[in-house]
Amino acid sequence: MKRDNSHDEQIVRWATFVRENPKKWREQHTAFINSQIINANEKYDKLKKMPNGKKIIRELRKLRFFGIDETDRV
Amino acid sequence: MDREISDRNILNKFTEDFCKIVNNFAKYIIVSGFVAISHGRSRGTEDIDIMIERLSFVKFGEMHNALVLAGFECLYPLKTKNIYENLTGKLNVRYSWKGIELPNMEVKFAKDSLDDEQLETRKKIEFTDVDVFFPKIEESIAFKEEFLGSNKDIEDAKHLRLIYLDRLDEDYIEKYKEKIRRIKFNETR
Repeated sequence: MKRDNSHDEQIVRWATFVRENPKKWREQHTAFINSQIINANEKYDKLKKMPNGKKIIRELRKLRFFGIDETDRV
Repeated sequence: MDREISDRNILNKFTEDFCKIVNNFAKYIIVSGFVAISHGRSRGTEDIDIMIERLSFVKFGEMHNALVLAGFECLYPLKTKNIYENLTGKLNVRYSWKGIELPNMEVKFAKDSLDDEQLETRKKIEFTDVDVFFPKIEESIAFKEEFLGSNKDIEDAKHLRLIYLDRLDEDYIEKYKEKIRRIKFNETR
C-alpha cells in the first residue's frame, strides 16, 4: 500500500536531521525506542498477573513470531 | 522492567549483550531492520535479526548454554534439540532476556554462499555506536531494495541512503543486487 507524501517527507526530514546533527539525534531516538519497549513490557507484566494471562501471552507470541495465519506452533 | 536500562537504548544494549556471547562461538552479523534503526531510523521493532555461521549440534549447544547462563532464554522453541532442528531446517528461533518479553533476538543460520560472503566481509560501523558486526552498508541497502522489499524495508533503505548521501558505492549496490537475484532465487543448500 502506498503511503501518503507526508510520511515520505518525514523520513527525509528525520534522516537529514540525523545526518546533520550527529550529537543531537541520539537522545530523542533513545527516548522513542525505549518508550515503546518499556510500555509493551509493562503490558506483558500486567497480562502475566491476569487469569489466563500466560495463555494470552502464548497467543500473542504466536502472532508476533508467525503472523496472523499460523496456529498451534507455540 | 526488572533489568536496569538507564538512559541507554534498550535495543543497543540487548544486541551488544547477546552478540558478546555469540562472538565466542561463531561469526555473526546483525541484519535487517536494526541496521536502519541503529542509524537513527525512527520506527519501532520487536525483534533484532542475527545471522550466524552454521554450527555443529555440539557447538550450538555450548553457545545456547552460554546464552542461558548470561541471562537469556529461548522463547521458541524451548528444547535445545528443537532449537537446532529449527535452525538447520531454515526456520528461525527467538531469544529474549529471561522473563522479559521484548525485545527478541531472531536467530538464523547462514543458508547460502551469499550469506557466507556477508559473514566474511562483516564490519563494525562507528556511526551506530553499537559494538557489533554488520554487513557492508551497500549490501544492507541492496537486500532491502531487491530481496525484502516491503514498505518498511524500502523506507529503511531510503533512510540509509540519506545518512550515507554521496558516500555510497552505487556500482557495488547494483552488482550486489545481481548477486542476490542469482543466488537467493536459485541456490539452496
